[in-house]
Amino acid sequence: MKRILGIVALTLIFASTSFAGPAGVAHHNTGCGLGTMLFEGGANDSSLLQAFQATTNGTSGAQTFGISSGTSECDQPKKFVQNERLNEFVYANLDTLAKDIAQGGGESVQTLAELMQVAPEKREAFYRNLQTHFAEIFPRENVEYAQVVDTIVQLSS
Amino acid sequence: MLRKLAYPLFFLLLFPPLHGAAETTPYRDELTESATKLHLPDDRYWHVLLHYKRGLFGTESLVDDRKFFLSPDGKHDPSAELDAAIDGLFADGLEEQTIPRCRFPARYDWLIRRLGVDLTKLPEVSCPTLEEHRKRIDAKSASLIFASGHMNAPASMFGHTFLRFDSSYESPLLSYAVNYAAQIDRRDNGLVYAAKGIFGLYPGYFSILPYYDKVKEYGNMDQRDLWEYRLNLTEEEVQRMVLHVLELQGIYSDYFFFKENCSYDLLFVLEIAAPTATLTDRFHGFTIPIDTVKAVRAEGLITDPVFRPSQARKIRHIASSLDDADIARARSVLDNTVAPEEILAVDIPDAEKGRILDLASEAVQLRYAKGQYTKEEYQRRFLTVLSARSTIPAAETVLTPIPAPEQPESGHGSSRVALAAGIREEDFFLEVSGRPAYHDLLDADDGFTPGSQIEFSRATVRYYPDTGRFRLQEWDLVYILSLAGRDDFFRPVSWKFRTGFATKPFPGGSDALVFFLNPGGGMAWDIRPLGLVHVLLETEVNVAGRYQPDYTAGVGLSAGILRQMTRSWKTLLMARQMAGVLGDEKRGREFFVILRQGISLGRRRAIFLDVGRTVSPGVHYNEGKFSVNFYF
Repeated sequence: MKRILGIVALTLIFASTSFAGPAGVAHHNTGCGLGTMLFEGGANDSSLLQAFQATTNGTSGAQTFGISSGTSECDQPKKFVQNERLNEFVYANLDTLAKDIAQGGGESVQTLAELMQVAPEKREAFYRNLQTHFAEIFPRENVEYAQVVDTIVQLSS
Repeated sequence: MLRKLAYPLFFLLLFPPLHGAAETTPYRDELTESATKLHLPDDRYWHVLLHYKRGLFGTESLVDDRKFFLSPDGKHDPSAELDAAIDGLFADGLEEQTIPRCRFPARYDWLIRRLGVDLTKLPEVSCPTLEEHRKRIDAKSASLIFASGHMNAPASMFGHTFLRFDSSYESPLLSYAVNYAAQIDRRDNGLVYAAKGIFGLYPGYFSILPYYDKVKEYGNMDQRDLWEYRLNLTEEEVQRMVLHVLELQGIYSDYFFFKENCSYDLLFVLEIAAPTATLTDRFHGFTIPIDTVKAVRAEGLITDPVFRPSQARKIRHIASSLDDADIARARSVLDNTVAPEEILAVDIPDAEKGRILDLASEAVQLRYAKGQYTKEEYQRRFLTVLSARSTIPAAETVLTPIPAPEQPESGHGSSRVALAAGIREEDFFLEVSGRPAYHDLLDADDGFTPGSQIEFSRATVRYYPDTGRFRLQEWDLVYILSLAGRDDFFRPVSWKFRTGFATKPFPGGSDALVFFLNPGGGMAWDIRPLGLVHVLLETEVNVAGRYQPDYTAGVGLSAGILRQMTRSWKTLLMARQMAGVLGDEKRGREFFVILRQGISLGRRRAIFLDVGRTVSPGVHYNEGKFSVNFYF
């Protein structure tokens, strides 16, 4: 009987580890530029571990009341500092925003236009303007969000 | 003695009875009297507000956090809690968190309205933080959001639901999402997760986050599609939900994966807005997220959804608009053999160049999310692709919208009962089978993840009329199978996990009930026109007294093709060869081949036809079975 239990235990261990692969690799990428704010865990290839994690839809950490997300660890934009929502949005969506600016449109630049109160009839031109100045908005790989906000504000004034 | 006093004392500290709140004043008595007259302790809305449910041991709130109740007996006693709430009307203070009217705004909003409380007779109270939060959330309407399953994690296949408070901003990204989830401990391993999740050992909390964070989490990291159902609620009803969510901040309820889960607790919040809707009472034992969407739809609270595709779907869509040469170009940008600027020099239309680079930038993000690049490497690659991309005007690259799959709530019901008749060699048999959840490989895929199976507790009993034999044929405690096709951009692993009991034949015409445990892993490819071709390496342990010694353990290979023949007709051809390596090695040897056909007849019915052959030392038989399946 002991041997049976041993085999069952071994099989369970095999089951819970053999396909675990890269599961649980957390992205603790903090910072103020591109590639930050990616969520922990998530898009790993299949694994039983992940399947089990999904049983709880779990969250960890104190991420329970994010009514205002913190940009405090980063340098703040010079202009437009009073527009807290704009700062938070650019900070949290910098990668998507870079993609949409390069493509000359998309939901994140639409949101940006709304936050900057660009009149609807001027939005197409706003998107085109950002697209043609992509290299100025993102001049370096490690450009920080505050600088992106500053450049965008400067370009659209 | 001291101990007995400790809790009430602690309670007094939290909610100090300033101005003698507990004392009886004429107005307080008047309010208590009218509360009794109006039967408020039994009022349905009071029970929704406090999450009271009638159970085996009387009425009990499903909230487990003592902080949620003003009365020490509040969890079990709606009447005592209401009395305490009336007392709380007369409390004030300096700390906003200790003033009941600020801490439990939905409760007091209702109480004040129902009792017609004259606010001038109460201490003046202001709740600046509460007002600030309300203003910030700025809810005008609300949406129910359904996150479909992860393409390769069947346990997430049950989906997930959360709420969104839609603000006066045009962009839904700027709205706030309300999510209920278990707070897990990252140090726990997979099996501990499962155990704690199932038995309610994790606390569940409500959280509020910007919707763009949820979009990133589900759409980009987890590659799950989102469905956004606008709720038919007035602004006032939505505001009530906001108040209730705010009073639930930092309050926990024990989280149970099967019933009191992410979707179930959200139903309480919906009942706050729509108290006449029957939502929480529909669920007993299992709360499957998509079933809650169906329930909300049945109550007329939602109509057709807006579809927000995941990044994976976006990548596949762009790829489907390109020919092989262009996909190879995108791959070479991704593999760093061609610089993004070189794509601009290729002699193809601008639109194609744009899509190649779009495909490359999405794939760079995907690889980074999977941890294949360092942050620096990602930043460099991402920006070089995007700078090349920014030189192509937007108007040139317009792509057709991503086609939405069938709405998730249009799929078959999660529970299934099947009646079957079949023949094994010469023996005719009848079968009844049932499962509470969720999806079989051969069930129609509309609203589900193709190539996936997840079944809990599927039990089958079989009767052979000629011999009078009656058997528990199979009882699959868990049967998960995930077949996910590999392609240029996605390299998922396919896997299975199956455990339960089955009646297996032994030489000499006898049989025995066997416990089995059968995990496996492998790969799958979507090969047209063949279908989803898969190969898995499997191990299996069988335990029963009939084995010599009591068990057999084997390894082997299985291979199969799953094909969607027409929209409602699926076939699966599968073969498996196992070899015994431990224990009763001889009995561990088994070859098995099966051809299954599934024809769906709408959302409620389907017919299956299975034919198969099994060969192992001393035992071999052919079997055919016809079954009619009912979903509900």
